[in-house]
Amino acid sequence: MIKDLSIGRYYRGDSVLHSLDPRVKVILFVVYMVSVFLLTKPIGLLFSFAVATTLALLSKIPFREIIKSVRPIVFLMIFIFVINLFTIQEGEELFRFWVIVITSGGILRACLMSFRLFLLIVSTGILLTLTTTPLKMSDALESLFGPLKKIRVPVHEMAMMMSIALRFIPTLVEETDKIMKAQASRGAEYDTGNIIVRAKGYVSVLVPLFVSSFKRAEELAVAMDARCYRGGEGRTKLHPLKMRISDYVWFFVLLILAFIPVLAEWIFR
Amino acid sequence: MSRNPRNNETHSGPQEAVRAEDVLFSYTHQDSEEIQALAGVSITIEKGSYVVLIGRNGSGKSTLAKLINVLEIPDAGTITVLGLDTASEEHFWSIRSRCGMVFQNPDNQIVGTSVEEDVAFGPENLGIPTPEIRRRVDDALDYVGLKEYADRMPSNLSGGQKQKLAIAGVLAMAPEVLILDEATAMLDPVSRNEFLELVGRLRKEKGITVIHITHDMSEAYRADRVFVLEKGRIVLEGTPGNVFFESKRLKELGLDLPVFAGIISELCAQTGSERKKEYFVSRDASLKAARDILAKIKSSQAKSAESEYVCADTEDKAKEQAVLVVKDLFYSYEERGDRALDNISFHVNKGEIFSVIGHSGSGKTTLISHLNGLIRPQSGEIRLLDPENGAEWNTRKNADVKQIRKRVGLLFQYPEYQLFEETVRRDILYGPLKMGMDRKAAEESMLDAVTLLGLDPSLLDRSPFELSGGQKRRVAFAGIIAMNPDILVLDEPAAGLDPAGRREIFRYILELKKRGKTILLVSHDMDEAARVSDRILVLSKGRALFDLTPEELFSDRSRLRKIGLDLPESVLFLSDLSPDFKSLNRCVFGPDQVAGELIRAARAEGRNTREPDHVRRKNPSGRSSVSGGQS
Repeated sequence: MIKDLSIGRYYRGDSVLHSLDPRVKVILFVVYMVSVFLLTKPIGLLFSFAVATTLALLSKIPFREIIKSVRPIVFLMIFIFVINLFTIQEGEELFRFWVIVITSGGILRACLMSFRLFLLIVSTGILLTLTTTPLKMSDALESLFGPLKKIRVPVHEMAMMMSIALRFIPTLVEETDKIMKAQASRGAEYDTGNIIVRAKGYVSVLVPLFVSSFKRAEELAVAMDARCYRGGEGRTKLHPLKMRISDYVWFFVLLILAFIPVLAEWIFR
Repeated sequence: MSRNPRNNETHSGPQEAVRAEDVLFSYTHQDSEEIQALAGVSITIEKGSYVVLIGRNGSGKSTLAKLINVLEIPDAGTITVLGLDTASEEHFWSIRSRCGMVFQNPDNQIVGTSVEEDVAFGPENLGIPTPEIRRRVDDALDYVGLKEYADRMPSNLSGGQKQKLAIAGVLAMAPEVLILDEATAMLDPVSRNEFLELVGRLRKEKGITVIHITHDMSEAYRADRVFVLEKGRIVLEGTPGNVFFESKRLKELGLDLPVFAGIISELCAQTGSERKKEYFVSRDASLKAARDILAKIKSSQAKSAESEYVCADTEDKAKEQAVLVVKDLFYSYEERGDRALDNISFHVNKGEIFSVIGHSGSGKTTLISHLNGLIRPQSGEIRLLDPENGAEWNTRKNADVKQIRKRVGLLFQYPEYQLFEETVRRDILYGPLKMGMDRKAAEESMLDAVTLLGLDPSLLDRSPFELSGGQKRRVAFAGIIAMNPDILVLDEPAAGLDPAGRREIFRYILELKKRGKTILLVSHDMDEAARVSDRILVLSKGRALFDLTPEELFSDRSRLRKIGLDLPESVLFLSDLSPDFKSLNRCVFGPDQVAGELIRAARAEGRNTREPDHVRRKNPSGRSSVSGGQS
């Protein structure tokens, strides 16, 4: 279950989007998020869908993989759909039962809202998580937030923490699985019994997980020390971030692309 | 046998890589009790040499490594590394950048999210320019043979590959000293060998000084010099031959001789021959010495009458009753697609020790997770039988799983992590209570388990997290035994423990067998499995290749080598000598038994009689001295 999470779900490839400077992608990520949230009409979402498709084609990632990244939020989409369906009361009334009133406007809004969420995840997923390695992402954040160092924000340390966290997610997932199995062998229950029994079952997993994480952290700190880690000062990089002309060009192109749906909505209003 | 690969001395300066003088070091434990980790250590390590530091857990060997790499600073005494004093602050980074260190747990030393990023971590910290980092990373990955994995996520590598990655990370910093802090402890024999070969190559080709910390004696053969630590002191030092020669002293220290050295030592003791240091220098030397000693026995026995060796026949197959039946088991993991288990069928009989042997990745863990229904079979079935009342349970049936978990106790590898309660007592009681035992029965069962495992009852009210590694292991083990299962499934129960700790664990296992428990033992150590098992199942790439008694399995070396396994050391020793002695039984384990068997065979040969056939039959009493015989 945890494995489906789209953090660190990098899909290897060699498209324009893969090689684009991650800082550009982080900025575009924000821009796309804003642009999708500005949309409220079918026409805008239709254009936005076209843009997402374009991004998908640019990324050369199979559609199947992209859809996979949506899986974890299906529940949220359904939730948003249902909430909108029952709370929005506009247009024709189609159905009424006790306190439940379903209207045509409600259906439309419910569809639009959940579809908007879908587009949001897909386009940002393509831009960021699927085409950017976690490490590049933390590099980008470190670089973008760099100016904050002046006011003593530990930007380098935060980026290092993030990349270590990402590095250890698979390890901890594996470990959780191992501990759950061991405790199940001792009779722990996670899926049966009442809520207290279940909660107790999880204690038997969480405690060892914390203990071992602390041990890992300690050992990792020693290992990093042994490899001469001494903070961000004077550190060089194997893959330093460097903007090339093509990065500027693509930045510009993708920026325009982001606003086409908003523009379309305004034109066809 | 000092080899000297110091071909090109790049750094002028002292010939010593490390010199420690009267080093004291202590650290404070959780409840502010002071622990003296090093109590006056003096050591000189020459540049370009290969040094092994050996000792039990807690003997101070890892602390010494940390002091060398300036991860700690001595309380008293001095350590100079490459001519630089570790106590002076200005040398701090210089020493660390020239000493690389590889630690025990592969997972806890990888920083990078990809293989090449991890290798680059060290050079990045040193502020080396990007193009130079690139070159070093490529060279290092090429050198350790991980080039094609450069973009992979480290978590996708095997344990052996992860340790090679750690070496590459060190290599990219161009070190002069390489410290291996129990770096082989978590590897299986094949990756361990590969790893040590790589280290040997590094020393030879790059002249890197190697300081190798281990508790596996057989690794000490590779050293120029061996230092044995005990309670923060160096109690023995010398060439490997000299150190192995002191077998009595080593035993007192809770360490084991390598099998070949152990056999020759026993052989000398049992025949009253003079022990010579040269017997212990290498495996071949031990073998040659054995040949000489036996030749003498053979000639002196030529005329004397000797009571004929009688072979006991204890094969009573009639009593065999299957208690666990695995049939046509298939399993594949969704994400990987290939078959983790491919058509596995076998059965385990009541009261036997059944071993499953295979490399990491051969499907052992997947297989045992099936045995108590943690994983349900995708195809095939697992049945648990109770021959006494004819009951039967199947892991496919949800209703049966609880019963199965009660009867099949499963202990995974490194089970320390499963401890979670506030006190040892509550932790051991957790399983029995969960399995529905009443309080009183559970308490009794717990005390029984605690006694069996020799745990001090005063520990019961301590937190399990305060205990030492070996104690934690025993508490976890006790937690399973206290559930009083009929079948115990043990996944590498002795992994990572020092020789004395390993011996203890195997003593408990044999004791459990005596009490009528059925034991399924998972191992990648042939010697260990051979010594205690009644039958051995060999797994390779998810397939069950052989299901034989140790005697049958070890009759053919080539088929084991084909899948990257080998005969146990003692069998290898005997096989080398068997052409000279017709009646030699090759399936004898444990140095004392092997020595005894060799003497017997030499005498028999000496009598020069035509051997009656029955003498060549197998010798079940030749099993390990602690096996307690067949039930």
